[in-house]
Amino acid sequence: MSETAKFKHPNYWAVWGLLFALTVVEVGVTFLPWAKELLIILLLGMAIWKAVLVALYFMHLRFEKMRLRIFVLAPLPLTVIIVVAVLTEFVW
Amino acid sequence: MAHPAVMQTPANRELGSGVYNEKLGIWVFLGSEVMFFTALIGSYIILRFSNPGAFAAPNTVLNIPVTATNTFLLICSSVTMVKAFAAAHDNDMAKMKWYLLATTLIGASFVGVQIYEYTHLIHSGFLPSGLREGSHFAELATAGELGLGTPDAGVAGIYGSTFYTMTGFHGFHVTVGVICLTYVTTKAFRGKYAQTDHRGIEVIGLYWHFVDLVWIILFTIVYLI
Amino acid sequence: MATTALPQEAAHAEAHELPFIRKYIFSTDHKIIGIQFLLMSLAFLGIGGFAAMLIRWQLGFPDVAIPGATILPETMAPGGYLLPEFYNSLVTMHGTLMVFFAVMPLLVGVFGNFLIPLKIGAPDMAFPRLNMWSFWIAVPAGVLMLSGFFVEGGAAGAGWTSYAPLSANSEYSGVFLGQQLWLLSLAVLGLSSILGATNYITTVVNLRAPGMTWFRLPLSIWALFITAILVLLAIPILSGAAIMLFFDQTIGTHFFDATGGGQPLLWQHLFWYFGHPEVYILILPGMGMVSDIIANGSRKPVFGYHSMVYALIAIAFLGWIVWGHHMFQSGMNPTLGMGFMISTMLIAVPSAIKTFNWMGTMWRGSIRFHVPMLHAITFVAMFVIGGLSGIFMASAPVDIFIHDTYFIVAHLHYVLFGGSLFAIFAAVTYWYPKMFGRMMDPFWGKVHWAITAVAFNVTFFPMHVLGAQGHMRRIYDPNQYEFLQPLQGTNTLITIGALVLFGAQFIFMGNFVISWFKGRKAPDNPWDDNGVEWTVHSPPPHLNFAETPVIYRAAYEYSSPLVEEDYLPQTRNLGSDSGPAAKPAAG
Repeated sequence: MSETAKFKHPNYWAVWGLLFALTVVEVGVTFLPWAKELLIILLLGMAIWKAVLVALYFMHLRFEKMRLRIFVLAPLPLTVIIVVAVLTEFVW
Repeated sequence: MAHPAVMQTPANRELGSGVYNEKLGIWVFLGSEVMFFTALIGSYIILRFSNPGAFAAPNTVLNIPVTATNTFLLICSSVTMVKAFAAAHDNDMAKMKWYLLATTLIGASFVGVQIYEYTHLIHSGFLPSGLREGSHFAELATAGELGLGTPDAGVAGIYGSTFYTMTGFHGFHVTVGVICLTYVTTKAFRGKYAQTDHRGIEVIGLYWHFVDLVWIILFTIVYLI
Repeated sequence: MATTALPQEAAHAEAHELPFIRKYIFSTDHKIIGIQFLLMSLAFLGIGGFAAMLIRWQLGFPDVAIPGATILPETMAPGGYLLPEFYNSLVTMHGTLMVFFAVMPLLVGVFGNFLIPLKIGAPDMAFPRLNMWSFWIAVPAGVLMLSGFFVEGGAAGAGWTSYAPLSANSEYSGVFLGQQLWLLSLAVLGLSSILGATNYITTVVNLRAPGMTWFRLPLSIWALFITAILVLLAIPILSGAAIMLFFDQTIGTHFFDATGGGQPLLWQHLFWYFGHPEVYILILPGMGMVSDIIANGSRKPVFGYHSMVYALIAIAFLGWIVWGHHMFQSGMNPTLGMGFMISTMLIAVPSAIKTFNWMGTMWRGSIRFHVPMLHAITFVAMFVIGGLSGIFMASAPVDIFIHDTYFIVAHLHYVLFGGSLFAIFAAVTYWYPKMFGRMMDPFWGKVHWAITAVAFNVTFFPMHVLGAQGHMRRIYDPNQYEFLQPLQGTNTLITIGALVLFGAQFIFMGNFVISWFKGRKAPDNPWDDNGVEWTVHSPPPHLNFAETPVIYRAAYEYSSPLVEEDYLPQTRNLGSDSGPAAKPAAG
């Protein structure tokens, strides 16, 4: 028995449009003569924005119960911990 | 009579996650996939941070226009996937079938483009073990055109190591997704899904969106940065 | 296709007999799969133990040929004397087989499978066919691992931790195919584990019977659930790292190769990021099951049930940020090391809470010294010793002296054998009647326990002394160092203890096998336990329950004033104050 939450569908094509626009901007940013650090922040920010859009609207996390959202978000700190910890190896 | 594959104890919805087993199961499984890609992508970030000179500048070795197009394709397939699910949800079975077919075909073409990309890269000398001696890219490296730290840094090979491992395993996941999509699309065309039960579509949809999500990250940090 | 299978409908549907191969070989029944894992793991436990005997002979009697070892090929032990290369393989494979193919499947594969559906009141796992795949993917993984012994160059010999560049480069290790088979085996096993974890998590979240709220779950299920989450998130790290190492070995990548621009330390960080949660995977289920058994043997509720749950959660959380304590001597960033030192000391707190709670459970209890209780009490005592030695290691300055010595070997065996394995003995004996419908012989159970408990300490306690005096681990010939020569006597004593310890396990195996056919037939509830699994026949029928059980109370209502008996099962309806609605149905 399918128990998908009954919800009103978001405008998927609008999300697609936003994803497309962000991708174009991302590629465009690589041509800018700005500082590397600034470019990285901009690009990562846009990538994360796109990823969040996919998660919220295509994977429907926007409409799911809070416990599922917490469940999904809970492992994310683990992805950061290992990278940040090992990066400090190259700073000291 | 076949053994029922699905177990659901009745009348205890309030005790559970609030979602049916297969959906909870795929979300749980995706948790493990997040950690798997963390190992690969995290290693790339760490190795690049520690040895930036070993990595070529954007658009010198890797082809941004081709992969940007591929990114666009994958995003399109994500939309068609969710539209298929929405169609099933709204009881429009015809739309669902065509959107599923579109997703499968676009997904397959993504794999095709990636194979084309790999063949071209390998032919020009970009290998997992480094730049092949005497190849096109090796010459560019010696001429200082790749933005490497030193002319022979690229030969050392962690650029190739990380590139092929990350994109290769992502491509493997896409391929598995395409195979599953083929199965689901075939089932759809045989009329096996209904508004009351289209779990398989939602499950493969979640997997497919995840694969798209990973690519969004990969495209940015591997090709653009 | 039935999508909501009510157990009674499905039981009707199963009135036809499945062919033998579908019923016992490619079974989707969680109870059968649990027993399959049990038989496979016990076999690997024996093989791993045998490897240890060879290692101990070399250390205890280096000048005496191993009796019977002349059947081993010249590449391993010419004339009955181990070659150093083969010794390295034995050390590696002992650790690998014990961790991945004995203890982990015994705790998670066996009891996760067998107990979860029964104790939560479900007919089977959420995904029974996936469960079958979990087992049948683990089998080729085991074959791959053992095949290393039969290839040229021998089995993997870089330690169970497989540090690069030793493991990446066959020029350094002398092993070629063996290292690759090791990695492939673990990658395959990883898939089995991840699929299993997905199953367990979904089952515990979604398939609990009415009235089985989170805080009515027995601690064994809490522990298995939390362990499954650790498996889900930690094993993929190993899979990723193993793939990178495999590529370094085979297609010339340079992830961990400094000459190629890679980082050897990266392997250590990745491995231990997996490896530390892994050791909690190896102990948490044992802690959970011991809680169940101690409550039963004390005829008292678990002292501090809620804090036991929070302690399990705290251990699982903190377990992610302590991994560097395995690497204090690696040349890692000292500031980072300091952070790990603090987090490692912190994690002792929830473990200590659990220990005090076990003692609190037994305090003023009416103790039944049945065999599982004996093993469970020994678990607590040995785990305390193992935990105490851990505190020394947590301190980075102390670790400078004891890292990679026998002090560490002592610690790990106190927690993995003294802890996990005693918990396994307790759990196997305890749930044996439910699995096989017969009781294990209690007399021989007590003999096995007594000899094991004594021999275990004779074997492993002196290792603390060896380590403190500088005896390094994984060493083939300690006598090459003059300062270690006086320790030969201790090594010989340890070997004698180990031989007795190994021999005693045959009593357990014999009891296990013979009781299967000749053991006293078991009643439904031989231990007067409150768990849901004891309300059905021993062994339970296919799909477990004729009707979905309803849960009325918490898991450990022993010596309850509400009833005359000293136990009060979770499913018993008193029709009065306790009912499924008495506790709010908080998800």
